[in-house]
Amino acid sequence: MRMGDNNEGGLGTSKDEPQMNQDEMILAQQRQIEKEISDSIPLVGSLEPLESLNKEYLTDTVYLEKVKDLAKKYKFMRRTRPDGNCFFRAFSYANVEILTGKKEEFEEFYKLAENSKNALVELGFQQFTVEDFYDTYMEVLKRIKTAPTVEESKNELHTLFNEQGFSDYMVVYLRLLTSGQLQKEEDFYSCFIEGHRTVADFCHQEVEPMYKESDHIHIIAACAALNTGVRVVYMDRGTGKSCTEHDLPEGCTPTVHLLYRPGHYDILYP
Amino acid sequence: MSLESKYNLKSPGVKRLMREAVELANPTEEYFATPLEDNLFEWHFTVRGPSATEFEGGYYHGRILLPSQYPMQPPNIILLTPNGRFEVNKKICLSISGHHPETWQPSWSIRTALLALIAFMPTPSAGTIGSLDYTPDERRILALKSKNWECTTCGKIAEKLENAGKIDAQPELTQEESTLIKQIALKAEEDANRKMVSSEPKIENVTSDEENTLRQRINPTVNTEPVINVETTVQRSNSDKLWTAAIWILITIIVLLIIRRIFLS
Ligand SMILES: [Zn+2]
Repeated sequence: MRMGDNNEGGLGTSKDEPQMNQDEMILAQQRQIEKEISDSIPLVGSLEPLESLNKEYLTDTVYLEKVKDLAKKYKFMRRTRPDGNCFFRAFSYANVEILTGKKEEFEEFYKLAENSKNALVELGFQQFTVEDFYDTYMEVLKRIKTAPTVEESKNELHTLFNEQGFSDYMVVYLRLLTSGQLQKEEDFYSCFIEGHRTVADFCHQEVEPMYKESDHIHIIAACAALNTGVRVVYMDRGTGKSCTEHDLPEGCTPTVHLLYRPGHYDILYP
Repeated sequence: MSLESKYNLKSPGVKRLMREAVELANPTEEYFATPLEDNLFEWHFTVRGPSATEFEGGYYHGRILLPSQYPMQPPNIILLTPNGRFEVNKKICLSISGHHPETWQPSWSIRTALLALIAFMPTPSAGTIGSLDYTPDERRILALKSKNWECTTCGKIAEKLENAGKIDAQPELTQEESTLIKQIALKAEEDANRKMVSSEPKIENVTSDEENTLRQRINPTVNTEPVINVETTVQRSNSDKLWTAAIWILITIIVLLIIRRIFLS
């Protein structure tokens, strides 16, 4: 029986449960609608001129000013699906995309990835599930790395990241690496975690599950895990006409550039 | 028909389930699970009732339905053997206590789900959807009866685990796993949230020969101390409650009308 079939009228008004259930129903409905919208957006979109942002803010002068400012530094952008995995997907994609033109650096990154599995198993993740994600992760990297031309590498990257199965596996493995990094440097990261949660709890609740959104702490740990730096450009309703930039980890020379608007990350291109 | 022709073996989800089938190929003393011959996305399992509980000596059989997005989405468990703890023929799913099912982690597996089910059986039902509040004695009777219970697909189910014997030298349950298992809660699906039915792929024949070749590396000595944080959310079966309320109101009205008629006439 579906929840929507319940007839609230006149029944059970003496209890507060039906009220709560109605709220839950509305929430569930909202989630469903959000999911449908999100599913209609490609996991990783094609390259678009930065000005395509203007369409979203036709009458919004605060944002239009900021897009203008952003356009001074960035020419293109690539949108990602807003499903809570956007940081991990965007970061993973952009990182590999940059490597496609650089043989030696790609090789170096490939080695780093190759050696990443054992640390996760040592942390107590189930060996065979970690292996499952790891194998696919390496397969994707290999297919991109061994494509005959840079052009074909980029196509392979784009195709694989838009196939739900492969794309989600890339996200999961980066989530695991991020969790591994957080737990490895527990002492350092524990002071960033609010409340009484341990780093391990935080990882199980906020990092490892799919669709959980990312914060600064996720980004710093993900960067450390992949040995790269990210510049996050913040665009929000805040004062000023320019966007704020944050390099993570602080003081790095960022390779990946991401646009952050409240709750969502897209990829930026100079 | 061969597996290759039925499933896209390149799909990570299919690969993953094949891996799990190999991983779980041999029954342990605690559990056994295997995909249906004709559908990799539906499995049947048997778990042994945890010892020192009213389920001791019982064998509980059920179905596991894997969503097409598995392992990104959690498996659903349906118990078929009457057990007094969970309603039979009703989907229950896994989540960390106090959270939504979205907190399922892709690094968990069917084995995690089964271990969680075993650990969760002796916990108080606390009125959650799909839970039953039978007395320990009633559960003991059901446990006894379960030995002779038969699945229409698998036949007698108790034998599989009874014959499992002790498989030697199996690695321990990792610490991470045993902590996680204690945090996992099982509850019936909130139907409106997800469209599970539509997401279950309809796929035909599979045979998995290599299943029997690999030995399972899993330690069956599960930590079953029932110190699980049980969810206290009052998510009852709304529709059931409303229907009961409606029926009682109607009965009351009818009784009042009859009384009124008797007194007026
Ligand atoms: Zn069966």
